[in-house]
Amino acid sequence: MPATPTPSSSSIAFTVNGHRHALEVPTHALLLDVLRDRLDLKGAKRSCDMQVCGACTVLVGDAPVSACSYLAVEADGRELLTVEGLGTPDAMHPLQQAFVDHGAVQCGFCTSGMLLSAKALLDEQPRPTEADVLHHLRGNLCRCTGYRKIVDAILACAAQSGSAA
Amino acid sequence: MRVARELVIEAAPEALWRLLWDVPRMAACVPGCAEAHELAPHQTYRAHMTQKVGPISLSVALIVEILAAEPPWHLALSASGRDPVVSADIAMRVTLDCAPDGTGTRLHIGAEGQVLGKLGALGHGVIQRKAEETVDEFGRRLARMARS
Amino acid sequence: MLRPFTLYRPSTLSEAGALLREHREDATLYAGGTELLLLMKEGLVRPHVLVDVKHVAGLGEVVAADGAIRIGATASHRTVERSAAVQAHCPLVAGVARHVANARVRAAGTVGGNLAFADPHSDLATLFLVFEARIDLRGPDGEREVPLDAFVLGPYETARRGDEILSAVRLRSWPVGAAGAYLKFGLYERPTLGVAAVLVPDAEGRRVSEARLAIGCIGPRPQRLRALEHHLRGAPLEELAAGRADVASAEIDRIDAVTDLHGSADYKLEMAQVFTRRALRVAAARAAHHVIDARYPYTVVV
Repeated sequence: MPATPTPSSSSIAFTVNGHRHALEVPTHALLLDVLRDRLDLKGAKRSCDMQVCGACTVLVGDAPVSACSYLAVEADGRELLTVEGLGTPDAMHPLQQAFVDHGAVQCGFCTSGMLLSAKALLDEQPRPTEADVLHHLRGNLCRCTGYRKIVDAILACAAQSGSAA
Repeated sequence: MRVARELVIEAAPEALWRLLWDVPRMAACVPGCAEAHELAPHQTYRAHMTQKVGPISLSVALIVEILAAEPPWHLALSASGRDPVVSADIAMRVTLDCAPDGTGTRLHIGAEGQVLGKLGALGHGVIQRKAEETVDEFGRRLARMARS
Repeated sequence: MLRPFTLYRPSTLSEAGALLREHREDATLYAGGTELLLLMKEGLVRPHVLVDVKHVAGLGEVVAADGAIRIGATASHRTVERSAAVQAHCPLVAGVARHVANARVRAAGTVGGNLAFADPHSDLATLFLVFEARIDLRGPDGEREVPLDAFVLGPYETARRGDEILSAVRLRSWPVGAAGAYLKFGLYERPTLGVAAVLVPDAEGRRVSEARLAIGCIGPRPQRLRALEHHLRGAPLEELAAGRADVASAEIDRIDAVTDLHGSADYKLEMAQVFTRRALRVAAARAAHHVIDARYPYTVVV
């Protein structure tokens, strides 16, 4: 049977931060634009727009994804996590608390990407070594902090939790 | 980018010089050149070039200006144009220098210029290599045409 | 913003091929999109049709068979990194997959996409040369197989015809006792230089019986250093491991390197000599069963 084309506009449904969304999106829409402009989730940032900097990192399932270079239609049926789903100011995720405690945030532009990349790492490797953390953050750039406090925060969070964060 | 090549053409300098002004035959020697028109005789020409660099197609309307002509030894021209689809600006200078070589002509081709715009994202090396391939193929086709 | 396009999701390679034939220049294959979407965002390519091959059953499988590993085209780098079959039969491949680009690219990007795009800085295109890799291509008339060194023709240029689909790459396991290393050097997202070295010890385990060396990133395409490989036959492993052997290569000096942001042509050729020596050092130490923790600035040692 010949493949039928996805029409220029598609109905997709996915879960973001535990909430289900059903949307009509153009086939050529990028996930980052859908998250920011349709769902008002501004945590993920457009920065390099070429998958190098990590500021647009979101999790699709357990995988970190560059939302700037990911078609929204690929998220159909999936579970997504953005930084807004990690915690709230009153109930911060341990990673967020660790970032605050260690002074790992300056301008904040890279932070949502750093947090989600770190979450993906800790979910898989609850006790990473410093080398593991550096390896996994290789695609997340920070212009402010020099990375030291970000790494310290992640390692401290891992040490505290003992199991998956 | 910059390319310099030297080759021997089996035609006397005067015959080669006549060939260089034969617009349709010269256009056939330039890889990717689809059409060429004379706008002002021995002064200005328009040519349409297409090239493929990996997955990227380039399509440029070039204006060619003759900068210097000293028959039958030296020809210098400029070629410039823009592909708005890939936002590529091309500006080239080409020199052709002829010297007698027995019954033939020793031809020195010099090409230098730049390709500005998004195509640069592929890296300077790719553009340099493409320029070298184009000049080499031009030389081959010119040599073949001069022999016939 | 991307320009609008039609997306097809064929479930078989035949359907995918039929779509390519039907839409010709207007269509492009799509899997991870890690290079394609970037080119589309820049407007450098403007396909009207994307043929998404991620839903072709079995195209992403990684299987071991007959002393070889077959990596399906849509297997992600992440899949290859974690594949038990790859770790068992060619662990260096899993190690290199772990270092491709960044974690997000590894999750989405595919081995087939990487090889078909033929970025001159591809780690896999260099590494797979020392595994005698062969590329499977599916076309309208059936399948054909091309050795990797005849598949990558130049920067962003391969032997794949417009109506063909890269379906898999097959790697041969090394002979027993062989040890290898992959060193990639650079400060940028794409490596400046990649060197893969494999050494097969002789029966006594003292000298090189066979060597394989591949260099990538600095020339128009990755290449084996056949003359140096030949020269290394019989070389004592301890000399190589200690960095005392003469491994200067005239072949390296003939590589058509171009001056660009990664460095001058001279610099690249000089670094190629240095890193070939280093890669051989690490491979030799491993072949001689030494523990080696080689570290060099801006270098990933796999």
